[in-house]
Amino acid sequence: MSDPRSRPLRWRPLAPFLLSTGAALLLAAVLTRNPTPLFLALPLLLAPVAAGLAGPRSSPPVRIDLSVEGAAAEVRLRGAVVPEPGVDARDLVVELERPPSLVGDPAQFDYSPSQIRFAANWTAPEPTITEVTVPTVLWRDPMGIVERETVSSASPVVVSRYPPELLRIGAVRLERTTPLPGETHSRRVGESGEFHGIRPARPDDPPRQINWRATARAGRPLANEYDLDKTGDLLILLDARPTPLGRAVDERLFSVARAAAVGLSDSFLRVKSRVGVGVFGEFLDVVPLSTGRTQRIRIEMALKRAHLSSVSAPAERCAVSARRHFPPGLTTVVFSSLADDSSEDLSPYLRRRGFPAVVLSPSPLPLIAAASQLTGADEELASRIARLVRRDRIARAWQESPTIDWDDYWSLGKFVEFVRRPRVRRA
Amino acid sequence: MSAPTARVRLRSLRPVSLALLLVSATYLGFLSGVPDGFGPLLAAAAIAVAAALRMSSRNRVAAYAPVPALAALALEAIPAPVGLGTELVAGLAGLAFLVWLADDPSRPARGSVRSLPTVTVPALALGIAWSSALLLPAGAVPLGVAGGLLALTLAAVALLVGRPTAFDREEA
Repeated sequence: MSDPRSRPLRWRPLAPFLLSTGAALLLAAVLTRNPTPLFLALPLLLAPVAAGLAGPRSSPPVRIDLSVEGAAAEVRLRGAVVPEPGVDARDLVVELERPPSLVGDPAQFDYSPSQIRFAANWTAPEPTITEVTVPTVLWRDPMGIVERETVSSASPVVVSRYPPELLRIGAVRLERTTPLPGETHSRRVGESGEFHGIRPARPDDPPRQINWRATARAGRPLANEYDLDKTGDLLILLDARPTPLGRAVDERLFSVARAAAVGLSDSFLRVKSRVGVGVFGEFLDVVPLSTGRTQRIRIEMALKRAHLSSVSAPAERCAVSARRHFPPGLTTVVFSSLADDSSEDLSPYLRRRGFPAVVLSPSPLPLIAAASQLTGADEELASRIARLVRRDRIARAWQESPTIDWDDYWSLGKFVEFVRRPRVRRA
Repeated sequence: MSAPTARVRLRSLRPVSLALLLVSATYLGFLSGVPDGFGPLLAAAAIAVAAALRMSSRNRVAAYAPVPALAALALEAIPAPVGLGTELVAGLAGLAFLVWLADDPSRPARGSVRSLPTVTVPALALGIAWSSALLLPAGAVPLGVAGGLLALTLAAVALLVGRPTAFDREEA
């Protein structure tokens, strides 16, 4: 949200140019005793002052509407800037910044006296979660001598693009759920499904959902929870440690993993599962298990803020820390590039601490191939060797936990197929 | 360049304000003391360069468009002979330059119309100055007035460039 305080008037480069030319002409008039340069100087010297006086004397408030449409790789940004009455929209300049993870042409603007409409068609080359910042809107006089930033109360828009298969993954029944204190498995069917367990009551719980006996025993309000409300628990863990692939490749792989994590959490939260997130760089940053729309926003914010660590920490630290924040037995999806031995260690340690993990590994090979400067037979040979090394790493990781090689970033069909067919998974 | 693109580029010249600037600058060149009719030629060439720079698709290049136009006007005004007609033409050329500035092709059309409140202030000042020069008795006084104006202008420029917030109005 932009700052609502008034912004000062700013001179543009043209103002000092006009003023200095005017002063030089004035000096020439005095030196040559010729009034003609004086008459030319007069408009140049007065124009900046007049431009400052003719414009709004404080920052004009504007309303900015911003929305994002489109699916998969397509990102269509639509927006409008509406100034308050008395300010001509054609005197406004909109500076819209394209997020670095998106590509495409600059935005197109459509001006009218009352509003400015703009549209941009961008593309996400890879799954991404990014933020489109609120455009900067400046009032600028028609001659371009002075400008003043406007004030608005708009908020940035989050763009999350992930493989479409993730939309269906929420239908997967998670095998393991967290036993809550006081949980008893019962065949009694409540209003909204089979009884699941007991949880602390929320202010919006109806009286029929309050478990009065448990409340009396515990001395604090407790409510029943039903299976329809809660289908299972999921922990999403992102490995944010640096690898020998280099910062640039690591950043892109991490960005892809963040986007997929958003898609995964969205999908499971939609079916009322509890989802927790951990980002392991030097330490483990967590979003504790919870469900609902607030949790979705919490996870989205956490993943948007998450960044690659510059220090590599031992995998055991992650497992110990996860055990402290999450109960054991959670279905765990680990995002790791498996680019070095230390990243391979993560799932064994998690397994030993009681977290059955599935590793989803975004492959660095497409990125490396795109950046490769080799050609012809050399490129083919390098590509084959890289594929063999990758296959070897995946095979080693499989010995500890199921591992999916994710080489087509816009498709997670293999992963979805895997989690939807538990028999194959056990085999 | 395809035909429609060329038409858009030609339209973006905003011909009215450009013609105004071209005529006033050429006439000032004609009145200036530049020998061999070189004055109008210099003015026309400079305005053509300025218009070409403005049509550039690169914003960095287009930003330098006012430089040749203003340089030509200054080069013509300094050697111009003393005369009420020449002074009036110089002032009008300055105003035409401001109107041309407002017709920026990278911004919405009719900028020159929207800039009228801004251009009116220097136009009024120019009118007062020229009518004073026409009606008041001449002598050594104008030089003193010009010197005083120079000192005042330099002080005002220093003040305004240093404190643009002087234009701000306090919030109620």
